[in-house]
Amino acid sequence: MAVIIEVLGWGGRRRQYYQVDADQVSIGRGYDNDVVLPDPHISANHLRLDASGDGWAITDLDSMNGLQVLKNPSPDASVLASGSEIKVGRTRLRIVANTHPLEATKLLHRLERDSSQLNRVSVWLPLLLTVIVVQIVALYAGTVAEWEWKNAIPVILSAQLAIFVGAMLWGLVGRLVKQEAHLLGQYSLILLASLVFTGCEWLLSTLSYNFNSVLFGETVQQLVAMSILLLLLSANLALATNLPSRSRWSGCAAFVGLLVIVGTVGQMKRWGEFSQFPQYSSTIATPTLLVVNGQTSEEFLADITPLFDRADEAVLKKE
Amino acid sequence: MIKNREVGATLRMALLFSLAWHGAAQGQNDTARDLFADYKSAILQIRIIDLTSGSKSTIGSGFPVDDSGLIGTNYHVIQLAASEPQQYRIEYLTESNKTGELSLVDVDVVNDLALVKATDLDRKFINLAPKEPEIGMPVYALGNPLDLGLTVVPGTYNGINRAGYHPRVHFTGSLNPGMSGGPTIDREGQVVGINVATAGNQVSFLVPVSRLQSLVAGYKTRGAAIVNMQAYIGAQLLADQQEKFSRLLARDWQSISLGESKVLDELVPFVKCWGGSNSSDDKAQFLSADRSCRSEDNIYLTSTFATGILEYQFIWLEANKLNPWQFYSYYERLFGDFAPGNRAGEEDVTGYQCDNGFTKGASGRKSKTVFCLRAYKDYPELYDILFLQGSVDDKDRALISHFTLAGVSKDNGLAFASKFMEVSQWQ
Repeated sequence: MAVIIEVLGWGGRRRQYYQVDADQVSIGRGYDNDVVLPDPHISANHLRLDASGDGWAITDLDSMNGLQVLKNPSPDASVLASGSEIKVGRTRLRIVANTHPLEATKLLHRLERDSSQLNRVSVWLPLLLTVIVVQIVALYAGTVAEWEWKNAIPVILSAQLAIFVGAMLWGLVGRLVKQEAHLLGQYSLILLASLVFTGCEWLLSTLSYNFNSVLFGETVQQLVAMSILLLLLSANLALATNLPSRSRWSGCAAFVGLLVIVGTVGQMKRWGEFSQFPQYSSTIATPTLLVVNGQTSEEFLADITPLFDRADEAVLKKE
Repeated sequence: MIKNREVGATLRMALLFSLAWHGAAQGQNDTARDLFADYKSAILQIRIIDLTSGSKSTIGSGFPVDDSGLIGTNYHVIQLAASEPQQYRIEYLTESNKTGELSLVDVDVVNDLALVKATDLDRKFINLAPKEPEIGMPVYALGNPLDLGLTVVPGTYNGINRAGYHPRVHFTGSLNPGMSGGPTIDREGQVVGINVATAGNQVSFLVPVSRLQSLVAGYKTRGAAIVNMQAYIGAQLLADQQEKFSRLLARDWQSISLGESKVLDELVPFVKCWGGSNSSDDKAQFLSADRSCRSEDNIYLTSTFATGILEYQFIWLEANKLNPWQFYSYYERLFGDFAPGNRAGEEDVTGYQCDNGFTKGASGRKSKTVFCLRAYKDYPELYDILFLQGSVDDKDRALISHFTLAGVSKDNGLAFASKFMEVSQWQ
């Protein structure tokens, strides 16, 4: 039975492995060993493995720093079963039989499989242009003074720069973790999310202008923004890392949840704080966006009458 | 009123601003000297003493109105002692440095008057004039400005002024802080008014003496001091707004044109309107014309809380060079910028409660309408109301209508809003 000695790296990932086709395996820094490891904390002849039944007996050869058994699936502590992990010096080793079952092959994430489609200039460029055009239109519609490009360009450039930096950061993570940056893919994802966000925001504010309802209120608008952020982060992570989908989603959810909590706590100090200015809905939109019909002034005044009772209740509450 | 910008000129009247007064005719000075010599012993400094620190917090003036020790002064002079009797007491200081305790017996908060009573004061009083003097008569304000000692300020009686719902005598002379509550007397030595406020530059105001006469008569009929001051003031405010709004709502409201719209004109003589526009501005991208109306009724309740104000405002907008999107984004910013015209603090009022909806006027115009109100904590059934309406069915023209009512009952507020929407229309 051949034994395989794997040297483990960060996150338990295999860095290199040695296959030895013998019943006795010696491990150490010296060149006379079967497995030669460069770790300076390992003695010249550090340990020996002797095949014993389905596993291996381990013998410390009087090493300076000793050895540590980190994991042993066998119920018999004197024998290491296939899949055991030990630590010698600062090196983690996994000992497996060549018959040890392999983990199932992982399916590529949909985004990655399609990354050849996403990670293309023909996707990225139209998205980029759309985002810039949308931003120019929004700026133009919001300008009351005479339109001047010299005022608009810095705003547009700084927004694009922020998106670019975001894409670069994810690309860097991808390069480190997966040796693949997917830069255009990451860039396209952020552009797409910002377009979706702008669309949702516009839709919700138009709805809230027409229908004075909590359904389209500020809380819902923030929820939508956070959901879009969650989707974006998860997609970025899927492209940049190999995290299994469960931990990717829960990690993103935890991050967004933390953002929500920090934001809420920040706003909490203003809850119930007195203001002598009324906080009313001041949204006004062009007539084309108004779909509802108006009430008569009598109906309106009848509808707002409960405000008086609410104010009276607020007086009683304070007392 | 708009928070950040000043639309139209508004006359700002601040309580007791100071400005030095120079020069007077020689003849007046002789009379002034005689009157001063005769009446200086009747002028008292009224001091509000903080019980914890033992020092004076506020000073003003006052004068005996009869031989029983009844002393007239301003409500705003003794307000701290009226609101927090466990924290403040009232005392007087004569020109010969004698001090003594005063007790608060009656107030007329809407006319800014108060009656206090001394038990140990035996001195000459000043008669209240039985009728109003003629306009142009020389009169003399007495008081203790800035704690500098007794002072006489000669000036001219300019009749009863209707800048607000509550009548005030326009006195041409400089009243200064500390003279509040002191008498203004004619050459016969009769009180014609009680010093109350100044708008600077020798424009000062007195409470007409008839109001003090009513207060004294009312107190004498009752024969006892007011026990529950807060409820009493609340009842005065409620009755005052009831009378005011009955008068206002009974009138036929006239409209005046602004742009293409018809808006509410000066409702009654005590509402003054100003207007302006940006049509002379060559760089303006759009046209904005406004009309702001206001009644200068500041009923003093505390140093941070005034009520009684009525104001309304209209802004007519035309897009001109702006496209509909740009026009509406400016309009939206303007619409979000309205605030009430009276000050109030957390101890005085609740926060504003607001609701909004779309309304359709008789002319078929659609508007966004906002209604906000806050309740008075110490005075039940009184509210400040802020109303705001903006037309939303024309792509390049708009009319904003706004009013603030301070210290109004629910029924009067709703009736005012209903009539306001009916009269101010854009056909």
